[in-house]
Amino acid sequence: MSERLTLEELAALMKSAAGLTVDPKQMAALPDTPFADFGLDSLGLLGIVGELENRYGATVPDDAERCRTPRDFLDLINTVSTTGA
Amino acid sequence: MSSGQERRCVITGMGVVAPNGVSADAFWKATREGISVLERVTREGCEQLPLKVAGEVRDFDPTALIEERFLVQTDRFTHFAMAAANLALDDARLGATDEDRSPYAVGVMTAAGSGGGEFGQRELQRLWGKGSRHVGPYQSIAWFYAASTGQISIRGGFKGPCGVVASDEAGGLDALAQAARTIRRGTDAMVVGAAEAPLAPYSIVCQLGYEDLSGVEEPARAYRPFTQSACGFVPAEGGAMLVVEEEGKALARGAQIRAVVAGHAATFTGPSRWAESRAGLAQAIRGALKDARCAPEEIDVVFADALGVPTADRAEALALADALGGHASRVPVTAPKTGIGRAYCGAPVLDTAAAVLSLEHGVVPPTPNVVDVCHDLDVVTGRARPAALRTALVLSRGLMGSNAALVLRQGDRTPS
Repeated sequence: MSERLTLEELAALMKSAAGLTVDPKQMAALPDTPFADFGLDSLGLLGIVGELENRYGATVPDDAERCRTPRDFLDLINTVSTTGA
Repeated sequence: MSSGQERRCVITGMGVVAPNGVSADAFWKATREGISVLERVTREGCEQLPLKVAGEVRDFDPTALIEERFLVQTDRFTHFAMAAANLALDDARLGATDEDRSPYAVGVMTAAGSGGGEFGQRELQRLWGKGSRHVGPYQSIAWFYAASTGQISIRGGFKGPCGVVASDEAGGLDALAQAARTIRRGTDAMVVGAAEAPLAPYSIVCQLGYEDLSGVEEPARAYRPFTQSACGFVPAEGGAMLVVEEEGKALARGAQIRAVVAGHAATFTGPSRWAESRAGLAQAIRGALKDARCAPEEIDVVFADALGVPTADRAEALALADALGGHASRVPVTAPKTGIGRAYCGAPVLDTAAAVLSLEHGVVPPTPNVVDVCHDLDVVTGRARPAALRTALVLSRGLMGSNAALVLRQGDRTPS
C-alpha cells in the first residue's frame, strides 16, 4: 500500500463488506472499542482484509483478521505498509 | 400434538412472502379470489432457459424490511425467511423486547430444499472470473440451507432449540411437526416455516432435470393438476414463517390462537415413484389423523399436494380415498398453489397459512387455472366456496419421495 489506511477508509470498507454504517469520528473517539461492538464479526473483518489485498495487491499479514479493535487493525496494516512489506 | 394434551401447540402468528402477496393479508386476498400470478420468467439470466413459467415474488424490497448488515451476508431465500419471520412475530406480538421472556424460551426451525443459489452463483462467477481472492467470506454461510434458521435466531436473539429440516418439499410440514415436538418438550415458542428462492439461473438449471417440471409456455395452462391436461408443475419462490407456541403460555400473554397444530405424520416412498406415493401418502394421512385423534369425517377441507403429474394426481386421489373412505369424494379439496406455483419447502407452509386463513374465514379458496377435474374429488374451482370449517388437512409430497400430512384445528381468532 502506498498510503496509510485511515479510519474513514475503514468505515467505508465496513459499509461495503459488512453492510455496517459506522461513524469514523466515533471510531476515532473510541479506537479501542471491539469491532464486535460495531457489529463487525470475524467474517466481516475477513472480507475487509480480502478487499484490501485485492485493492492494493499487497499481502496483509495473517494476523490482520484477528485484530479486535480499529486501533489494532490500523496499527498493524499501516506498520506493514510503511515498512514496505 | 396428541401425546402432549397438557402442552398443545398453537399458531399465533403468520408471515407470508408469496408471489401473490407479501403479508398474510395480501396473500389471502389473492388466494381467496383465485388470482393466478403465474407468468413468464423475467429474472435476469433466465431468458434462454427452457423453463418459461414460474411464480416470481416481484413486489419485495428487502432493504425496506431487513437491516443492511444481514442483507450483505445472506441469499434471497434468507431475505424471504427473515421478512416472513418479522411479519409472523409482529402478528403474534412476540418481540425480541419481551423483557421477562428468557431468550432460551424461543427457538427457530426452518425447512430448506436448496439453500442460497443466487448468492452462490455470484460468488462462483467471481471465483472463475477473477480468482479465489475475490470470493467473499459470507459465501461460507449464505449458500447453506441452515442459513435462514441461523440468521432469524441471531437477529431475534432466539437461543432456544434451533434446527433445519432437510427432508424434501414435505419438510415444510415436517418442520412444523418438529417445532410442535420441541414445544412439547418444554420450549415456549418456535419461529417455524420455510422460504425458497429457486429462480436464479444456476438454481433453475439444477431443476431442468426434473421430468415433472412443466414445459408449457402459456402460464394459464402450465400447471393444471387433477385434469386431463395435467403437464407437470410450475416452480415458485417465497414461503411463510409461523409463530407457534405452547397454548397455555400463549393464552397467558393474551395472544390470539389462530389455529391448533393437531397432528402430523410423514412417510417416504422414493423419488419419482408416484404410484407408490399412494400408499405412503395414505399412511401419512392415517398417522396424522391418529396423532390428532381425528376421525376422517371430521376433515372439513383438504389442501392437496396437487403435483400436476397424472400418475401423482391419481395416487393422491386414491390415497385420500384409502385414508378417508367415502368422505374423500365429499370433502372439499383445494390447491391454491396452482395460482402461485410450488415453492418447494415453502409450498406446504404457504398451504398451511392458507388453511389457517380458510378456517378463520369459513371459506375454501379455489384452485386457479383448473377446470374439468378428472378424479373422484370435489376440487373447488372457479370461485371460493363458503363452508363451516373446523378442521383442515394439508398434504405435501416431494420430488425425492417424502410424503407428509398435517391436521389443523380451528383457533379462536375472528377475522378483522
